[in-house]
Amino acid sequence: MAENDDYTYDYEYLFKIVLIGDSGVGKSNLLSRFTRNEFNLESRSTIGVEFATRTVEIDGKRVKAQIWDTAGQERYRAITSAYYRGAVGALLVYDISKSESYENVSKWLKELKENADENIVIELVGNKSDLDHLRAVPTDEAKQFSVENQLLFTEASALNAENVDLSFQQLLKSIHDMVSKHQFDMTDYSGPKPSGGPTISLTPTPGNEQSKNKSNCC
Amino acid sequence: MKVVGASFSHLGLGNSDKSSSSVNLPSTSNSIKSSKPKIKPIGRNSSFKIESPSSTPRHSDQYTDLDDDWDADVGQGLSSTESQPKFLQSKPSRSFDYPSLSKSNHKRSESGVKKHVDGIIKDPANSLYTLYGPNITQEDKSIKEIEELNAIVSKFNRFKAIIQDQNINLVSLRKMAWNGIPSELRPISWQLLLGYLPTNSDRRVTQLSKKRQEYLGGISQVFNDNKEPATWHQIEIDIPRTNPHIKLYNYECTQRSLERILYLWAVRHPASGYVQGINDLATPFFQTFLSSYVESDIDIETFDPKVLPKQVLDAVEADTFWCLTKLLDGIQDNYIHAQPGIIRQVNTLKDLINRIDSSLYTHLENESIEFIQFSFRWMNCLLMREISVKNTIRMWDTYLSETNGFSEFHIYVCAAFLVKWSDELKAMDFQEIMMFLQNPPTKTWTEKDIELLLSEAFIWQSLYKNASAHLRA
Repeated sequence: MAENDDYTYDYEYLFKIVLIGDSGVGKSNLLSRFTRNEFNLESRSTIGVEFATRTVEIDGKRVKAQIWDTAGQERYRAITSAYYRGAVGALLVYDISKSESYENVSKWLKELKENADENIVIELVGNKSDLDHLRAVPTDEAKQFSVENQLLFTEASALNAENVDLSFQQLLKSIHDMVSKHQFDMTDYSGPKPSGGPTISLTPTPGNEQSKNKSNCC
Repeated sequence: MKVVGASFSHLGLGNSDKSSSSVNLPSTSNSIKSSKPKIKPIGRNSSFKIESPSSTPRHSDQYTDLDDDWDADVGQGLSSTESQPKFLQSKPSRSFDYPSLSKSNHKRSESGVKKHVDGIIKDPANSLYTLYGPNITQEDKSIKEIEELNAIVSKFNRFKAIIQDQNINLVSLRKMAWNGIPSELRPISWQLLLGYLPTNSDRRVTQLSKKRQEYLGGISQVFNDNKEPATWHQIEIDIPRTNPHIKLYNYECTQRSLERILYLWAVRHPASGYVQGINDLATPFFQTFLSSYVESDIDIETFDPKVLPKQVLDAVEADTFWCLTKLLDGIQDNYIHAQPGIIRQVNTLKDLINRIDSSLYTHLENESIEFIQFSFRWMNCLLMREISVKNTIRMWDTYLSETNGFSEFHIYVCAAFLVKWSDELKAMDFQEIMMFLQNPPTKTWTEKDIELLLSEAFIWQSLYKNASAHLRA
């Protein structure tokens, strides 16, 4: 569990984020590093979807990230893609030592395009940067790809914690910028926060009164 | 040449062997006594021990074995079930002592591997020779404790009697197994309950050897062809992540075995292929079947299987493969595209909770919790991510005794599992509920907790099984 403040409603924004990418690239450990500052060498594969949160400060505002960590295996796609809906950000993770996981990035982008809101902010994360001696994906190549596809980009290591906070912060900041730019009506969003289900969404979610009223951006 | 003497009665068919263990006063422990189980209420400070039947042969015809190699002799005797059923049905005309019967003679091998693995490979029923129930030697037991111990011994013997029947009565076995199978008898019981082992003892030896050949043939075939890269890759990355907290699964030998099992299964079941979580499901079988060949005082979860002869490993692997296949046959639609079996189970669970605990149901709904968010994994891995392997094994005794244990009864177990924390959950919000259910406090659970869960599930099943079908239609 994260810090106590995660259990209070002391935040101004709630952003729903999804973690996606091939199986075994280290999504769950990136998440546990970010939310609990833990790295588990004996972690088991993620089945379906797992959930964690952390509240951070972005531009003087408290932003709570509600992160859904998805299973990487193809078979779970039908289940996990349901979680893309309503997400305002996605961390698309590959393993810098496994070129295949990088080659599949376009496949994941397509998945997002098909299932997520069109304005979702995406960050490409090359994980396992501690394995530089086994590097299979040049940094420049991934950086170039990110520019071409309007993605944020970082290389990080869940193992030694390098750039992990930075990659999440960068994503949250970009979402926050975008939400602000869209003149999000904050006066309408000052009351007690929703009970976890509804989040700020980039498109109104039909059938969900709460989020419709509170997050009609875009 | 050695002189040996013992009873052949454990080969005995039918219920003749009720005497495999008895509680005796120490002074009688070495004398030849009546073989009837003795349950003597003895005084508080008297000591007693459970005696192995070796010292109480029922048939006095003792005989001198001229064959030094008793192992081979046992093998012959055991495999002769097919050729000489009459001999076995009649009163044994000869008997010999089985070395492990009396504690003083019993020399444990240092590796922890049982001595007579050849016989067990041929027919797991042969392991019954050396099984006499719990080994109890402690002194100063109260009468209550003695009664409990006697109950354990008598349960063990009832099991043994069922399994030693020439035509095993599966109905009786299921009935007994529902409440838990003694660990020594579990491997053979599971194989019988799954229909892997024929109930007719005459067919056992040939059937087993055929299935193991078939498995080895399958392996050499699929590993000669080019491997299907996506499947192989997924299995390869999941093997080191299979029960990584248990030593047994860190050993090279275990990992290679599981890899072969999973890959062969995946290739043979293209509609689903390998799906993460199936690796978990293979482990209760692997661990249980491995235990047949290992001395009972060894913790199988720390045992390195590489010390076992190759033929033992091959047998464990093949049996695991076939039993896993049988289990997955019943829940195939959990792992095909879009996983409809799981979706159906999650919906049934939701339905059930609404009836069993409507205030919890309402609370979850108010908190925008969706059942799939927390119970998908419960279905996909049969609660193996929430419950230890050892406890799962106990749970499967019951599942295997139920008609549709893994596809239906499991949902009632999940319902009981959720309702268990109803009060806590009702005080939590969305995030707290998610975090709680992702990591429920089951680490300290014992068999008792599992048994309580199972009996609660049983109640829900009897109350709601037909009712819910009726309402949904």
